[in-house]
Amino acid sequence: MDDRRRRFEMLVLPHLDAAYRFARWLSRSPGDADDIVQEAILRAFRGFDALRGSDVKAWLLTIVRNCHLTAVKQQQRRGFVPLPEEHDVQDGPALIANTPDPENTSIRRDEERTLDRLMSALPEEHREILVLREIEEMDYREIAAVTNVPIGTVMSRLARARAALKARWLQEAEGEPHAVR
Amino acid sequence: MRCAESLRVQAYFDGELDALSAADIERHSEACAECRALLEDLEQVRTALRQDVTYASTPPALRARVMRALDQESKVQRPRLNSERLTSWRSRPFWKGAFSGIGATAIAASLAFFLLAPPLTNPLLDDLVSAHVRSLMPEHLIDVVSTDKHTVKPWFAGHTDVSPVVADFAQQGYRLIGGRADYFDHQRAAVVVYQHGAHVINVFSWAATEGSLPENTTRNGYHLAFWKTGNLAYCAVSDTGWDELKGLVQLLQDLGAHDNQ
Repeated sequence: MDDRRRRFEMLVLPHLDAAYRFARWLSRSPGDADDIVQEAILRAFRGFDALRGSDVKAWLLTIVRNCHLTAVKQQQRRGFVPLPEEHDVQDGPALIANTPDPENTSIRRDEERTLDRLMSALPEEHREILVLREIEEMDYREIAAVTNVPIGTVMSRLARARAALKARWLQEAEGEPHAVR
Repeated sequence: MRCAESLRVQAYFDGELDALSAADIERHSEACAECRALLEDLEQVRTALRQDVTYASTPPALRARVMRALDQESKVQRPRLNSERLTSWRSRPFWKGAFSGIGATAIAASLAFFLLAPPLTNPLLDDLVSAHVRSLMPEHLIDVVSTDKHTVKPWFAGHTDVSPVVADFAQQGYRLIGGRADYFDHQRAAVVVYQHGAHVINVFSWAATEGSLPENTTRNGYHLAFWKTGNLAYCAVSDTGWDELKGLVQLLQDLGAHDNQ
């Protein structure tokens, strides 16, 4: 293996899971996420020589997002009907290796499903920013870089996204008192 | 109508404010019921997202597919001709291959701001980041799997040269998942492994030598936070947010200070 490839594997591939998680949440489809991730990694590899800073993860997620947007555009051009908002995301994402806690496992599963569904139903703009802030734990500057908007927009969008998720959550709780804490 | 400070309250919650503005917001939220409620909402949404959302990890089949695609790509980029290159010449005009680097150049140009961070040359930082990345490979993360500090701490006694602070902070969002021995800086360092949401945090500890520790820094997308407690040097490494990493550092420092008394 040549040196460039080794450096790429050392620097970029550790963020493969983050790229996959982000692609999954953006596309809401395991098949599409696979294609997006593969394309993004190839693009990253081609553009890798230019990368000098330490923001590898933000750089890779920017590319993932661009690949997702390209894929959406292509589907629209082909007259593809987009997935319904309430797309089912239960079909098998591998969980991160949590040590099992038998008492909590089944309750946890239910809550995961509820929240996964609520997140999937959010507009893409909201879903995206919540994933970047709360799951990938990026700061405003990194989120601004990935989503290509000013920091002020990051702040207002994040506030709206959090309020929207909270509102849907409350709605759900009223409808199904046992599904949510 | 919403309180005019709500965005600053959110920035405070996200750890984006300097100390002065943070104190300002703390004072404000004592007086403003609306902002206190907002802080509770923010916390609730965060806890739910970090605990109850499914974190997908890359399926092995996709990982294999990506590696194969990289193999192909490395072949294409090599200047020497091979059979595959020759067949592909027939199916597409030669200039397509010749100019396939243009996309990469465009990405490079649009990401020029990533170049601003200066390269760092401290070998300790390299060692720590490499050890962290190595630990993320399958099977390398943990030597002793346990959520119980009474299992992890004695294990270190037999396998490393130091006895670091170990505790489970699951309540605060930092779950103890185990420990590991790592060899660097000419000694057997102890590594305590935590999980925070979707992220792994490795806390390295080794016998502190003379001289100061490096400043907190970010390298290859990983944050490194350094501190000393007693005669031990610590470094927490992760791709969590800074604020989240510092949260764990604070907990460990408080506990270390308590133990030393």
